[in-house]
Amino acid sequence: MHMTPPAAPPPTPTAPASATAIAPAGHPSPLAIFWATWRRDLRIEWRERQALNAMLFYALLVIVIFSFAFEAQAALTVRVGGGLLWVAFLFAGLLALDRAFARETAGDCLTGLAISPASRAAALAGKFSAAFVLMLAIEGVILPLFAVLFNAPPGARWGGILLTAVLGTWALAATGTYFSALGAHARQRTLLLPLLLLPVAIPAVIAMVQATQVYLHGQGGAGFWLQLLAAYDAIFTALGVLLADVVLEVE
Amino acid sequence: MKQTETAGPTGPASTAAPPQAPPWLPWWAGVTAALMLYALYQAWIAAPTEATMGIYQRIFYVHVPAALVGFGVFFINLMASVWYLARRSRAADAMAVASAEVGVALLAINLITGPIWAKPIWGIWWTWDARLTLTLVIWIMYVSYLVLRQFTPHSELQPRLAAAYAMFIFVAVPVDYMAIRWWRTQHPQPVLFGGPHAGLAPAMLYALCVGFAAYIALAATLLRLRYRQEQLRHKIELQRRARALAE
Repeated sequence: MHMTPPAAPPPTPTAPASATAIAPAGHPSPLAIFWATWRRDLRIEWRERQALNAMLFYALLVIVIFSFAFEAQAALTVRVGGGLLWVAFLFAGLLALDRAFARETAGDCLTGLAISPASRAAALAGKFSAAFVLMLAIEGVILPLFAVLFNAPPGARWGGILLTAVLGTWALAATGTYFSALGAHARQRTLLLPLLLLPVAIPAVIAMVQATQVYLHGQGGAGFWLQLLAAYDAIFTALGVLLADVVLEVE
Repeated sequence: MKQTETAGPTGPASTAAPPQAPPWLPWWAGVTAALMLYALYQAWIAAPTEATMGIYQRIFYVHVPAALVGFGVFFINLMASVWYLARRSRAADAMAVASAEVGVALLAINLITGPIWAKPIWGIWWTWDARLTLTLVIWIMYVSYLVLRQFTPHSELQPRLAAAYAMFIFVAVPVDYMAIRWWRTQHPQPVLFGGPHAGLAPAMLYALCVGFAAYIALAATLLRLRYRQEQLRHKIELQRRARALAE
């Protein structure tokens, strides 16, 4: 990968050697790193349940506040329900994505991760998939609540909405995890993440809201919105993997 | 860990003396000022008044050059960011900062003059037309880029993270273009987009070219000034750090 220091500079004692230079003979495969990071993140979250509780309650509050701000009737849900739902998912997701790296900076784990011989792309992918699972879990709880509180139309196609949720959450988690790592060293980290994520997520937001709208309405096809989402997922996941070394590099 | 500047794979630019202000810079700034005044004269007085839109059309000589030169400057930011990631050159990073700031300013001129023209001509300040939406989104992404720079500490970290975000912006623009196109074709256009582009009278074309020349000169001046200022800032930072280590 061309992002790593070019042509292995001589590892002097003062300069941190590049990760590959000090890798022991039998270092773990990227897949093992991926699973280890994934399991670790979910296990920590399961034990402390900080992000999980906050996200759940936050998304619930967004839905409830929306029902006061707008008259929660079936006619309105058909018109703007997709937007309401994704605003709730998006802001709840930001909490999970922020926690993903807030935890790492606390004990200087980020430096540990960066100087370990482990593949940084695999570690980042592990963190991404943990955030992805977490966000999907919250959406699984919020979606039925939304259907009840906003009187979802009976003709709504929930299979399509679930598929949109999976693809859309992938999009947010992929770019969001990368930007969370990117902002990990910043002052005002929590404020920075939405500022970085939201502009880049605009095409995904358009696609997920439009697709959800189509499925809530129960008629018409959302095929090309799903294709756009899938393309977004593929492009930005690949970009995150390619640039993983840039964001997790040691100084 | 502190001596990041010497330990890292930095390019020769970080150790070289920062550039002196080139002797031609004041002259160039003077030429720019004269060109800007001449462009205003052309736009306000010399160019003929357009038949249907009347006096409002004159904003076109500011609006269009600001946009196109702004996009050109963002392209410089992309090139500089790629160059930084490949070579870790501090000079490239200084150019990336300068171009992002100048581009945001130029596109802001475009985004402000647009609605001023649109209100009397279209009857509305803004419409979520594909072109308008994309311009706004690109502007927002570069503002985010600048916020990122402001929030990250001045070290090797800042240029690296900024360059990574610049790559995301670059990839996001075509995806945005597709999304917004599809989104807009889903709904009827509230207003027909009838720009004053079809056939330009020679005097108008001349005024437009003067506008382009003026904005290119302005962008070049601002880029050069900010580029040098950023390199000086970095040098002061290095000296401050070296002194802190020595004490």
